[in-house]
Amino acid sequence: MRYYGGCDVGSTYTKAVILDETGKMVASVIQRSKMNAAQSSQTAMDACFSQVPALRSVDDLTYIVGTGYGRNRVPFAAENISEISCHAMGVHITDPTVKAIIDIGGQDVKGIAVASDGTVKNFAMNDKCAAGTGRFFEAIARSFEMTLEEFSALSLKAKNAIPITAQCTVFAESEVIALVGEGKAPEEIAAGIQMAVAKRCFVMAKKAGAMGSITLSGGCAKNEGLKKAIEKVLKIKVTELSVDPQLMGALGAAEFARRKGGAAR
Amino acid sequence: MRDLKHRVFFEQLLSDVKNELVEQALEDGKLALGYSCYFVPEVLMNLAGCFSVRMRAPGITDTAIATYYMSEKTCMYSRSILERAIEGGYNFFAALLSTETCAMMHRAHEHFDMLNLVKDQNEKFFVTHMDAPFVTKDYAVRHYARQLQKHVLDRLHDVYGTDVSEEALRAAIEKHNELCRVVSEIGECRKQMNPPLTGYEFHLIELVSECCPHDLILPYLKETLEELKTRKPDETPWYRVRVVLAGGENDDPDFTRLIEDCGAFVVADRYCFGSLPGREEIEIRDGETALAAVARHYMETNQCPRFMNHEKVQGRKQYLKQLAEEYGADGLIVQQQKFCEYWEYERMYCQHVMEPDYGLPCMGIEKEYVNTSVGQLRTRFQAFVEALEIKKLAKEG
Repeated sequence: MRYYGGCDVGSTYTKAVILDETGKMVASVIQRSKMNAAQSSQTAMDACFSQVPALRSVDDLTYIVGTGYGRNRVPFAAENISEISCHAMGVHITDPTVKAIIDIGGQDVKGIAVASDGTVKNFAMNDKCAAGTGRFFEAIARSFEMTLEEFSALSLKAKNAIPITAQCTVFAESEVIALVGEGKAPEEIAAGIQMAVAKRCFVMAKKAGAMGSITLSGGCAKNEGLKKAIEKVLKIKVTELSVDPQLMGALGAAEFARRKGGAAR
Repeated sequence: MRDLKHRVFFEQLLSDVKNELVEQALEDGKLALGYSCYFVPEVLMNLAGCFSVRMRAPGITDTAIATYYMSEKTCMYSRSILERAIEGGYNFFAALLSTETCAMMHRAHEHFDMLNLVKDQNEKFFVTHMDAPFVTKDYAVRHYARQLQKHVLDRLHDVYGTDVSEEALRAAIEKHNELCRVVSEIGECRKQMNPPLTGYEFHLIELVSECCPHDLILPYLKETLEELKTRKPDETPWYRVRVVLAGGENDDPDFTRLIEDCGAFVVADRYCFGSLPGREEIEIRDGETALAAVARHYMETNQCPRFMNHEKVQGRKQYLKQLAEEYGADGLIVQQQKFCEYWEYERMYCQHVMEPDYGLPCMGIEKEYVNTSVGQLRTRFQAFVEALEIKKLAKEG
């Protein structure tokens, strides 16, 4: 049996996936990224190998593709492919009916329109600031003295959302503190934050020309409160994926590895 | 591919506005004339005894003082120019020739007067602001010629005694055309499927031709042209796709290199500071004065989105399509400085129409004068390259 690897070194989490030659996912890992991208990729792949008895090192894999912000630093990858293409492919092989993706990663938000063969039809991406990204949520949850899960759960309790005007992480934090100081309900502030980010996602999705069924990928896809807010602004139900949405980049990379490695044989 | 003989020298020249060739020309007693926009004809600033310097702010990291004067909602290029001026970076200028074309840059140039910049080093220094038409009809070209006469030629003659006669203008045009021929011939190499130079290298060449005294840079350009005739590229082309880079102000060769690092060969440079347009020869028609020919040439070749009449708007799209065909491009990247009032709209328009109406896949980029978010840009360029590659493969069956 031949095996293929995909390694997505993100700004906050590193994800790795191993597929067998039939395309079945046999191992997957999500770990916090280290400062050193090469080290992050190595530990993530090692953790994958512990799940497959037949594999001991990267030498046992036929082809490996690196993706994510650290994609140029994956020392054992045969090539690197942008996370935009990888997310599209990962989502496509998980659910071919999905035509658009909102990928909310650690430091950016992307809207991706997917073609019928899993390639990228169009995409849009925020330019540089971390507003509306995983790092933004981490900072806001910290100011609530909560974990991300607790913050998400809190926002779901709200009956109303207090509009948050600032998108910048620093200003939004100040605004949250001011609202708390005014005695506003924390769940309504939290819902306001989710709505502000959802609107940003709406813009990205529209810029990319997203049509039809849409799904979320990336770490923030697990934020139930955000998902609900996005459904509200987009006025459609977000498609649930059968595989952890945070793994989509690594899964797409592994699928590219399977196709390219297979073609190279 | 072996390095170009003068690549490092060109990079050094671009690392400072007052580079060694500029210093040399100043020592020879020539007047340095600063400008930033294509609407100020470069050729008029290269009359005998003068040389043009297109304004850049290489290595700028902070625009705090300029931001105080101009607010942060202005393009970073204009703020960088003002900041560099406040730092004393243009103190060697004899004059600054400005146009009322881009409001933000115009505002930056006005601050030269308001803050008494350069003048304390050279009391003859002057800033002049000319009006540029919004249409290219005959009467508008005549108005533009009058503006050039009044604000450029008359001022240079009155303040510095520069010879601005018909003969002097014709001589300047002849020299200008020689430089244009050399740069254009170098640029033509980009049409080859396995070209002997990269888009980054051409960007350096075009920039040094705009930022250095023409007579001093020309020998290096001629030598580079000869070198390219025998320079052997690697056996297989290094790029994955070919793109036209269009848009507003872009004087950063590292931006071109970033695109090329992602696998896209920048085959044509249709942006401010680019060669298309910019390096076309000026033709003096029968019965035409040299100044009238200059005015007509710069109006006809101008691709600035400041022209908003239907003919010009459509003409710009057609020009991009034509460049893509001539240079064998697979796609188009349109870049603009954040807050650029003209190119912001043009970029969005291109993104909407270039692929469906002209069959040219297009990607838009909003950037700052100093690019700090290279990681995100790299991801976007790489994804665009991957998408173009797939389209190319599909087209080839």
